[in-house]
Amino acid sequence: MAAVRKRVSPSRWLAYGIVALGGVIMLAPFWFMFVFATHTNTEILSVPPPLWFGSAFLDNVRLLIEKLPFFWRNLGLSFFIAFSVTVLNLFFCSLAGYAFAMYHFKFRESLFAVIMATMMLPAFIFMIPTVLIMSAIGWMNEAKALIVPGACGAFGIFMMRQFIGTAIPKELVEAARIDGCSEFGIFWRIVLPLVTPALGSLGLITFIGAWNNFAGPLVIMRDMDMFTVPLALRALQGTGQVPWGAISAGSAIAVLPLMVLFVIASRRLIEGLTSGAVKG
Amino acid sequence: MATLHLRNIEKTYESGPQVIKGINLDVADGEFMVFVGPSGCGKSTLLRMIAGLEDITGGDLLIDGKRANDVQPSERGIAMVFQSYALYPHMSVGENMGFALKLAGKPKAEVDVAVGRAAEILQITHLLDRKPKALSGGQRQRVAIGRAIVRKPKVFLFDEPLSNLDAALRVQMRIELSKLHEELGTTMIYVTHDQVEAMTLGTRIAVFNHGVIEQVGRPLDLYQEPANQFVGGFLGSPKMNFIQCAVTERRADSIALKVGCASGFELPRSVAADAGSALTLGVRPEHLELTRAGDGIAARVDLLEHLGDSTIVYAAIDGADQIVTIKTQGGRTALRAGEAIGLRPQAGACHLFRPDGRAIAAQA
Repeated sequence: MAAVRKRVSPSRWLAYGIVALGGVIMLAPFWFMFVFATHTNTEILSVPPPLWFGSAFLDNVRLLIEKLPFFWRNLGLSFFIAFSVTVLNLFFCSLAGYAFAMYHFKFRESLFAVIMATMMLPAFIFMIPTVLIMSAIGWMNEAKALIVPGACGAFGIFMMRQFIGTAIPKELVEAARIDGCSEFGIFWRIVLPLVTPALGSLGLITFIGAWNNFAGPLVIMRDMDMFTVPLALRALQGTGQVPWGAISAGSAIAVLPLMVLFVIASRRLIEGLTSGAVKG
Repeated sequence: MATLHLRNIEKTYESGPQVIKGINLDVADGEFMVFVGPSGCGKSTLLRMIAGLEDITGGDLLIDGKRANDVQPSERGIAMVFQSYALYPHMSVGENMGFALKLAGKPKAEVDVAVGRAAEILQITHLLDRKPKALSGGQRQRVAIGRAIVRKPKVFLFDEPLSNLDAALRVQMRIELSKLHEELGTTMIYVTHDQVEAMTLGTRIAVFNHGVIEQVGRPLDLYQEPANQFVGGFLGSPKMNFIQCAVTERRADSIALKVGCASGFELPRSVAADAGSALTLGVRPEHLELTRAGDGIAARVDLLEHLGDSTIVYAAIDGADQIVTIKTQGGRTALRAGEAIGLRPQAGACHLFRPDGRAIAAQA
């Protein structure tokens, strides 16, 4: 028996085309970054540019280390800052989100509205006050100047409040209270284990944001050995001929952990972002 | 085990109405007290106030003679079973049941013994290693009860614990709860909107309405002698019929009543109601007898429901815009819709209510 083939309508083909074009536009920079990381500057600047992998990756890495003697330290510092910011964000945002979702206190709604309003402000508005404060307390050129201000954010609070509000029944908290759990104990022993999907999503988003943060380290860090990876790679562009191959190799090394992390956690990320959207 | 005394207990929300309006109630040691009433009457709120999950804004709560208004929920000596079970999803059944003892710092061996004993009572020993998501509704409810038992509370609080179960399981769990009360002998307070649960489980019942207790008493006392029209109507299924009537004549040992435009009948009891006054006659469906047309209150069959063991007859009273329910024994009847019939209330099972709903007591 012949299989019935469903005819795809022209409008659907158009939709597929638009989606495919969008995909190409988004993936092209990644592709060229990995391809350029394996070519010399001459090859990269030739017309047309190379579209497939070359053999100069190790030379580019060697050049990168030569131009940026602290590259591995910069990479380590980036990881330390991103990891610290993520851990602190998960703790403080879930704590605040729990309070906003489960407790009734005076000015709760107003306070939440104020926190949400901070999401409307462009990140650059905070740059000058941050520098002034860090300078005043003597934290300039130190990692904690990037970690402490990033320890809690409005988006994280919002996300955790929404998740906890929909995923944790109030009776569960009350049962724990009757069982003799302290208020912090309820959060730590009952609520946190049940919000791991949201914690996974928030952790991933925060880690990526902190890892890619460029403006923060730009105004805080002064010495090369305290630069984060984005800042260090940017520093290469100001030293005569721009070594595009080395920059691409550095970018590829920097982005690889994120891509692996994303592939591993993407399912959980989507789950966390969409949970509570519909009644389960 | 403990006694419980509620003295003028009130609850008023900051930006809302008063939901509990001066409740006075004594619960004896080992008693099974049932709070029953329609949705929004305040029964669950009062239970939560006893548990310490809601603040008491007025009055005193005494547990075992000690004022407990400001005592933490975990220190009141109570355990609560929630309608939604409220089991910790990330813990096994055993961990759920032993959680309170673990928090209290009891040695693991002691926790295991207590959990094992409670599991035996509820026959859930084989489920101790499972997570709540791997249990059926009935099993989850047992675990929730087990978690309460393990704490050895002075008072058990149940907040509509059987509402999420199907009808058959509800009956089974109801029987088991009754047996559990006999076995443990602990004071229990049970909230339900199901009057069958209230009638079958309670040593005493408190009927709630709009934040006040309308009547407290033993189930059959409330059923047979309701203090007012609300209690009469709430307890019993099908519910009590309320028939508007007027006193036509008051004699020494009887009273003549008129229903609708034409029908009249006599009640052999003396009540404090003057001739001409309007009253409400309350009579349960099983206490209305069907007679031939022309005898008793004239009515016409409106609808028949055959339940197998009995038949529910809905009849419209002639001259009055009112449908009454009659419950007759036996699944078969020769009655047909539209047929003229007569209704005779059983004399000893009639209740008379004033226009404000209060019952009129028979005079000796």
